[in-house]
Amino acid sequence: MSKPDNRHRHLLLLLSVFVIATCGLIYELVAGTLASYLLGDSVTQFSTIIGVYLFSMGIGSWLSKYLDGPLLKWFIRIEILVGIVGGGSAPLLFVLFEYAASFRLVLYSLVSLTGILVGLEIPLLMRILENQLTFKDLVSRVFTFDYIGALLASLIFPLVLVPYLGLIRTSLFFGLMNVAVAWFLLHQFPETKPYRRSLVTAILLSSFLLIGGFVYAEQIMTYTENLTFQDKVIYSKSTSYQRIVLTANNRELRLFLNGNLQFSSADEYRYHEALVHPALQALPKASRVLVLGGGDGLAVREILKYPHIQSVTLVDLDPGMTDLFRRNEVLLKLNNRSLLSPKVQIVNTDAYHFVRQDTARYDLIVVDFPDPSNYSIGKLYSTSFYQELNRLIRPGGLAVVQSTSPYIARQSFWCIRNTIAASGFQTIPYHAYVPSFGEWGFILLLRNHHWRGDGPLPKGLRFVNARTIHDMLNFPPDMAEVPTEINKLNNQVLVHYFEDDWTPYAH
Amino acid sequence: MTGRPTPTDPPESPGRRQFLEQAAGLGLSALLAGSAGLSACQPSSHQHIKGGMIGANHAVGHLLRNPEKLPPPTQTLETDVLIVGGGVAGLSARRWLWQQGMRDVLLVELADRPGGNAVSGQNAVSAYPWGAHYLPIPDLRNRELLDFLTESQAITGFDPGGLPVYNDYYLCHDPEERLFINGHWQEGLVPEVGISADDKQQIARFFKLVDELKHAKGKDGLDAFAIPLDGSSTDERFRQWDAVSFESYLNEQQLTSPYLRWFLEYGCKDDYGTTLANTSAWAGLHYFAARKGVAANAEANAVLTWPEGNAFLVSQLEKQAASPIQSNRLVFRMEETHQGVRILSYDVVQKMTIAILARKVLLATPQFITKNLLKNRVIAGFEYSPWLVANLTVNGLPQNRGMPLCWDNVIYGSPSVGYVTATHQHLKSSDQKVITVYWPLVQEPPDVARRKAYQMPYEDWVRLLVADLERAHPGVSEYIASIDCWIWGHGMIAPTPGFIWGEARQKAATAINNKLYFAHSDLSGVSIFEEAFYQGIRAAKEILGQKPSD
Repeated sequence: MSKPDNRHRHLLLLLSVFVIATCGLIYELVAGTLASYLLGDSVTQFSTIIGVYLFSMGIGSWLSKYLDGPLLKWFIRIEILVGIVGGGSAPLLFVLFEYAASFRLVLYSLVSLTGILVGLEIPLLMRILENQLTFKDLVSRVFTFDYIGALLASLIFPLVLVPYLGLIRTSLFFGLMNVAVAWFLLHQFPETKPYRRSLVTAILLSSFLLIGGFVYAEQIMTYTENLTFQDKVIYSKSTSYQRIVLTANNRELRLFLNGNLQFSSADEYRYHEALVHPALQALPKASRVLVLGGGDGLAVREILKYPHIQSVTLVDLDPGMTDLFRRNEVLLKLNNRSLLSPKVQIVNTDAYHFVRQDTARYDLIVVDFPDPSNYSIGKLYSTSFYQELNRLIRPGGLAVVQSTSPYIARQSFWCIRNTIAASGFQTIPYHAYVPSFGEWGFILLLRNHHWRGDGPLPKGLRFVNARTIHDMLNFPPDMAEVPTEINKLNNQVLVHYFEDDWTPYAH
Repeated sequence: MTGRPTPTDPPESPGRRQFLEQAAGLGLSALLAGSAGLSACQPSSHQHIKGGMIGANHAVGHLLRNPEKLPPPTQTLETDVLIVGGGVAGLSARRWLWQQGMRDVLLVELADRPGGNAVSGQNAVSAYPWGAHYLPIPDLRNRELLDFLTESQAITGFDPGGLPVYNDYYLCHDPEERLFINGHWQEGLVPEVGISADDKQQIARFFKLVDELKHAKGKDGLDAFAIPLDGSSTDERFRQWDAVSFESYLNEQQLTSPYLRWFLEYGCKDDYGTTLANTSAWAGLHYFAARKGVAANAEANAVLTWPEGNAFLVSQLEKQAASPIQSNRLVFRMEETHQGVRILSYDVVQKMTIAILARKVLLATPQFITKNLLKNRVIAGFEYSPWLVANLTVNGLPQNRGMPLCWDNVIYGSPSVGYVTATHQHLKSSDQKVITVYWPLVQEPPDVARRKAYQMPYEDWVRLLVADLERAHPGVSEYIASIDCWIWGHGMIAPTPGFIWGEARQKAATAINNKLYFAHSDLSGVSIFEEAFYQGIRAAKEILGQKPSD
């Protein structure tokens, strides 16, 4: 390899400035975007991420004075490190989001580390170039390239990279760019000969990691989730029972189970207030509540707003679900840490099995199962099931059942009502408008209970008040009662109604 | 559907193990060659599957071959009534005698527990049947059976109109039946997907025919077809069909559709272990026209079923009487005495012989056993179909297009009669399931098929079973954790042409000298719970000197 003359030499180095400046800003943008995807509240996230990143760059710049000896070697090493840390940050953050109790710590640590490493780059380069250019030339050229790189990054990031590559691939791609700079400099400068071999190994290893990540991590993510969901998938996990997927956009977080929307953080309060409060406002002395399904802890959040509730037993089949809502920081914020309350006992078992075995008695039973879209779930809406519930309710107690949409699935809704009525309960059907779902239906189950809708409500509700409760009882003609058969284990008519009701909406 | 295909309701057979040792040296090639696609199936791909042949007790078989080698009695017991055989008929008689106040009754059973062909197994995933596994809801006129079901809490009450309310947990849950045909799972077992208008028309004609027969009565005012079968009309108009095969009958009616024929042969195999050609037309029609159950909370064709199958009913029969039951007892000799009968019974566990002096003996054993216990008894015509029953524990069941998993799942054109999901009545869903495959061995005459079946090694059964399942569940092999197989050498009485209304049944059921009585579903000619239950009560009434209508 020919020895580059000085001009050639500092042009190469300035080209490096351009590349690393682009990379540096990309990492910052990736971290900021990812944080607002994952944690919501984009203004705060972007602002704090940028602040931390710039501050860390300052630390890096300050630390640069402690680096002595062959500066080019340091620079190449740092490029490799930036490539790995910066490039790997997006996939790492996506993967670690599941363990979100420490997610913020991980996020800001990664941002700081990237910032520090990026902060080291420019001062080091300036020191490498200091004897080849006058100070005024040095400063002017280095910063010109730096800011051009920044402009390029800020333009291609929203216009090209996010739409076409996605966050993970963008991050990995620019990691590779950093490593490429390292490789390029290593081979262009003869003084790197003594340590070339060891650094080439490091470069190959990190390229291998980044390319592997580029091929696999993003491939899986894109393939399984991004095609299905309109928003960015920020968490997904297949448990023994279901596939849990969380998606996010600037406005809201959505939870999907097996592809079915369970809630949107933007309006779930409407659903959960409507599920819980019409029943609990009528039970001022209630102390024990059983929740069947509802592993997200959002119904429990509403229940715990009544200080007289002493104990809540939550039965959800899937420990993957209850664990997620006990651990993930964003979700803990959403359910107000309800599943960590000492009043709450979580039982991960089949709800039908539980109600047949259970000997306790409850003031309120909240039934929040998925819609009856298959025969296994259909059993949980049968006369036999409601008769088991009957046994578990204290005299004067109540139960409430989420009963799918009376507008879209009108036959299904009234089939559930009629099935409950055939199982020995008086019923009060009601419905609420939840923008993400549409009109949604619920049924109160009563046994000799003189239910009224004007009882005491906890403070701070956003949807339910006495007037709302009153209005929810009215069914306009397009949702009015229709005659149906009774859903029994040996006919499972509800599953058929549900299929009929939803078929027009299937595509 | 007017009739419900019945994956086996075999009779109790306390002596079934006797025949395990009769397997002679015949090869398997014919049986294996009868099944297509086996050669493609590598045995090595099944090595992860655990299990083996269940239900074989060779030691007892040896003893039966050489009863003279058994030790002389060292103990003598006395009992008023001895019941030999603890299948449904024997247990039903025991229950009846107990309920009528007869306390001094002893029941002896060859196997290690009562139940006969309604025994069950159990593993970590589920209980599962080894034979009979369901009961159609009975006709309201079958009071004795309704009473039993009420005592068993399978009937929880009666509605104001007098219709029984069945226990919802015992009624077969929806979805019940599906058929894999033309690459698709359809709901129900009557072929519908991809069949011609003419086939459909013939199928409709057949069902119209049997619907008329369901309501038909003879000159004597009795139903053309009834359960118990002895209550059917004696009118020749109907009984004449016993003399011809179901196949001839269908020819005569010009019911030639291959899909209809398949379905009807499936029914014969399923309920009787016979083909169209060797089933009595009367029996073939009885299957569709005799079931007249009604319920307050279920359809007319509803069935009761449990994960353990009819072992549930067996345990209820056992519970509803307290007289002693001795298992592991081989009865090998009987002699008439002045006061009654002297029986020699060998205790298979203690290895000792006990003499039992009984005033009366009820042989609740199938006739192929009974004839060995009684000298000079020659009654021809009792033929039995051999069966394979296999229980498969699976960690999942890859599905094909169409209807999801049902209770009864049948594959069109399969040599088996499909499988029943033992876990169907479970209330929680799990990927882990136990499925019970029923496979009547009808390719060859029963004695040949029986011998070959006993000889066939476990690995070959696994290959057959997996190849059959793979047709509808591609890739299922790797999900199979275990397969256990049980061969019923004499699984079911075969209602061959002329048998139901011939002389043999009558002759074999007639009591001898007010000392020896007989009860078994083979005396009805069809192997279903209702008949075994009825035969037990009929014999018990004879012992008590009651009239049949008492």
